[in-house]
Amino acid sequence: MSDQKTERLINLTLALLASKRFLTKNEIFSTVAGYSGSAETMERMFERDKDELRNLGIKIEVRGMDPLFGDDQGYLIQEESFQINSNEFTQEELLYLTMAANLWHGSALHNQSKAALLKIQSISGPIEVNDVNSPVIKDSEDSTTFLLILEAIRNLSKLRFEYKGSIRIVSPYGLYTRDGFWYLVAEDDVAIKTFKLIRINPNVEIVGKPNGFSKPENFELKKFLGDSKSDTENNVIILVRKNQALALRRRYQTDEVNSEWDRMKFKYLMADELIESLLWFASDVVVLEPESIRKKLLANCEELIND
Amino acid sequence: MTDNAAQRALRTMDLIPYILENPGVSTSNLAMKFSVTQKQIERDLQLIFLCGLPGYTPYELIDLTFEDGIVSIIEPQVLTRPRNFSSNEMVVIKIGLEILREINVDEPAKLDKINTLLQKINKNLDQEAVVLANPIISSPYYSVINSAISQRRQIKIEYQTVSTDQFSTRVITPYAINMLNGNMYLSAYDVDRRAERVFKIDLISKCEIGDQTDMDIIKTAQSELMVELMVDEKSARFIERNTSIVTKKELTAEGFKVVLKVSNFDWICRAILSFAPHIRVISPPSLSKLVDERIKDLQESYSITRKIGVS
Repeated sequence: MSDQKTERLINLTLALLASKRFLTKNEIFSTVAGYSGSAETMERMFERDKDELRNLGIKIEVRGMDPLFGDDQGYLIQEESFQINSNEFTQEELLYLTMAANLWHGSALHNQSKAALLKIQSISGPIEVNDVNSPVIKDSEDSTTFLLILEAIRNLSKLRFEYKGSIRIVSPYGLYTRDGFWYLVAEDDVAIKTFKLIRINPNVEIVGKPNGFSKPENFELKKFLGDSKSDTENNVIILVRKNQALALRRRYQTDEVNSEWDRMKFKYLMADELIESLLWFASDVVVLEPESIRKKLLANCEELIND
Repeated sequence: MTDNAAQRALRTMDLIPYILENPGVSTSNLAMKFSVTQKQIERDLQLIFLCGLPGYTPYELIDLTFEDGIVSIIEPQVLTRPRNFSSNEMVVIKIGLEILREINVDEPAKLDKINTLLQKINKNLDQEAVVLANPIISSPYYSVINSAISQRRQIKIEYQTVSTDQFSTRVITPYAINMLNGNMYLSAYDVDRRAERVFKIDLISKCEIGDQTDMDIIKTAQSELMVELMVDEKSARFIERNTSIVTKKELTAEGFKVVLKVSNFDWICRAILSFAPHIRVISPPSLSKLVDERIKDLQESYSITRKIGVS
């Protein structure tokens, strides 16, 4: 690793950032410290430097300098694209930003949160820790997978990964989080599907170039999520043993049946989820209706005990 | 550290606004914050000392003092403010704020501020690529608990135990809130039981703030039981939800063979029943017997209530 190159990159960034007007290559070569050698050498150096900075997200703008002779171009880094406008946030907002970033300490995104925190502390100075006791998200996702997928979504690159035993090649549209798990929404040859991140084999890779597909113009992640859970709701009627199943009692009203049981009626979406949640209360809950749920629940138990 | 020249250049530039806002910071502290060695920080500082604006007279160079491991900035030149948040950092902040909004749903004043802030953040986002899909269950006691943690106070709570389905009143010293699978959990020291306990925050039904405590928390390990299970691939989410207690996992032809560390049988028994018939007990036999008994009790409940009608 050469100090010289790092130094030159810093000087170049500072010069492009400090300038109020676009600088031509010749101006850069004659004023910015670190450029030397033949014209071609400097040219090559500059092209490489520019690409490396851009790859790390620095926006270097280009503009033709001479309307008649198009060759000569000027370069500039806009202040607002490079730096946070520190007046944008009040002291209290900085506190919320800190809490928002703090949430991720235990998660796949913990490096990103640490980097964001550094920037917040570069506006605010040290923040009183007393008020910033935020909860910490614990998830089980792999950050490499997560960030790779995020990159593919941004660059519109296709992804190739193994999921439930088969290889999928998909166009990724977005990520969402529900109940602490992350999901990828992506289109394969057939339809738009969701994939649970934790089940995607870690050897996921980007295939092809950026802009390898185009996202349908009318696709909106929020809408898609709204649509996909529009199943109809059904009623379930259950018996609940007196003084038991308190979690259910807190949510739904009951009416008395006899000295041992109360009755309860509520709506549910998915049969499997309902059965799973009712079985938690074991012998303290009995399904009366619908018959299909009652039968399925009993059959599941029968199968487990007979094994 | 294996960063290339460009990464190093950006990190070195990032140091300047940070030190500017935190004058007198030590290089060891910087090393920790920026995830590099102290030696590397020193090298970076020596390097940026030589950088500046075209002209490169003393007036145009970045200037700092660096003595006995303590750094302050004298002249930052254009590096007075931090670099913009990267798109990944934006994701962290945006989703983080959305979560905070869910948590604080009962406090209109805070809610307004978070919403305003989210609008500012969203303005800078190119696209809605990442979304928080469902609300997090909030608790009216969230801020009480939070201030108890910061002030090291005890709280008295009424709590409904999930596994036994009972209410109890407890005095606890809370010390951390965790979010796992969309639920918030409170880690606390249970004063009467003299042990650490984890509480699900939405099951706390009363909460009063109590005295300040300077008692050191004695961390006693809970008794741990090892349980071996065969989990059908269809119920892989059982494992995903409980990764923190899975000590071994192996994919076999019948499904996942897992070993879990549990603190009591009641909880695991309920979980097995919930996923019936997809989780089977391999060992210990006492657990498998308990599961069978629970099922027989359940069948009994169904048969004695056969005559009770729907309405």
